[in-house]
Parts: sequence; structure tokens; C-alpha cells
Amino acid sequence: MNAWEGLVAEGPPESGMAYFEGTEKPEELIALAWILEDGSRKFYSSLLYLFDERAAKELFLNLADAEEHHKKSLVDLYRKVSGKKPGDAFPQDFISTEHSGDVMEGGMSVSEGIDWVKRNGLNAALELSVSLEANSYDLYIKMSRSMQDEHAQNVFKTLVTEEKQHLEKLAELLEKNL
Amino acid sequence: MKVPSDYFKKVSSMSVDEVKQFMRENEPGEYNLIDVRQPEEYEIKHIPGAQLIPVGQIDDRANEVNPERPTIIY
Repeated sequence: MNAWEGLVAEGPPESGMAYFEGTEKPEELIALAWILEDGSRKFYSSLLYLFDERAAKELFLNLADAEEHHKKSLVDLYRKVSGKKPGDAFPQDFISTEHSGDVMEGGMSVSEGIDWVKRNGLNAALELSVSLEANSYDLYIKMSRSMQDEHAQNVFKTLVTEEKQHLEKLAELLEKNL
Repeated sequence: MKVPSDYFKKVSSMSVDEVKQFMRENEPGEYNLIDVRQPEEYEIKHIPGAQLIPVGQIDDRANEVNPERPTIIY
């Protein structure tokens, strides 16, 4: 591991799933993923207004759009897995109010992330985004493994593939900027 | 004491670059990536997608690893 010098994820094996106090029903995992995607969308949308560099703006816009697309995929999956239409209480019913609305991929608070980026600049924003996406990639692989339903596994596998593509795009821009 | 039949089976090793290339060319569902370190080490950092099976638990949890797929252990 010391020789790895590549992308790493942090946290215990159940990382990101801790908000559910040990329950791991598919509907709850889907709701968690939706909340994290929504937090990341808010984060990337905020970054759009913090920097002037065109390539960075375009990438953050693409990432925000991708998170929105992921949210829709997760709502469709929730409908299929639960057999219910997500109500007004989705996904808040599945998560503690303490975390709801201000947490993003990687488990970091959205507002803390934005404040940190404001203090540290574009390269730090790209590095933090890489870290978020790496943790998200890690979490979705775990979620894919935990799903019994083949369709659900495939949805999470698609998310894994897309997070991997986000990482490649972020790494490319980070390399250009360094 | 009876020695398991695959006790002397050769296990190949991969360099870090070879592992990175393998992970780039394969989807996570096509291989097993196992972290055999301790939970505290895993928590500090791990390769994204790695499954934690501490070395002391391998005998009990070997059934969690798909034998049909290539397995990378670190």
C-alpha cells in the first residue's frame, strides 16, 4: 500500500453507510446514494461560480449534470426495487435529519467543502473532487456487491463506471493545471 | 499434519503499475481485490473498491471471494 501512490479511498468498510445505523436494505442504500449525489451536485454547482478558468467551469458543469443524471437513475431504481413511487419524504425518511441536505460523496459536509475550496483555490478544488469521486467509486462497488437484485447490481455497476470516467477527467485537468 | 493440496501452488506477484493497468482495463466486477491488512490500516486508506478481509479471517471468510475471478491481494 505504501508504494501505491494512486487513488485511495478512506474510511471503514461500512464507510458512507454509517448514517443508517447498521441497516442495509436496498431502498436505504439507494436513498443514501441519492443524498450523496445531491450533495455533490450542490458542491459542483457552487464551484462553477468560484473560478474563471473555462476548462474547470465546463468540467464542474458536466459533473453537476452527471450527478443529476445519477439521481434520476437512483429514483428509477428505488421505484423498481421497492415497488413504490418515491414520495415527498424520499429520501429523508431513510436518513437522520442531522446529515440530510448537507453531505456529499465521501461523507464530507457540502458547506465545509465549499468553504475549504474558497480558502485553497482551484487545484485544491480539483484534488478534493478527485477524493470525493474516489470515495464514491469505492462506495458504489460496495453497494453493487451488497445488492441481491441483478438489475440493482447493474445500476450500481453503471455508476461505478461513470465515477471512474469522472476521475479520469478530473485527473487530466489536474495534471494540466499543476 | 496434512498439507493442503495447493500448499505449494505458485502465486504470481504484480507490480503497482501492473495492478493499476489491470484495474484500468477491467471492470471491478471482473476481479476480486482483497485488502488483508488490519481494519485500522484500511480505514486510513485503501485502494478504491478493495474488500477488507484481514489476514486472520481468511480461512473463515474465503467463501466471500469468487473463485471464478482473478484475485489481487495486498
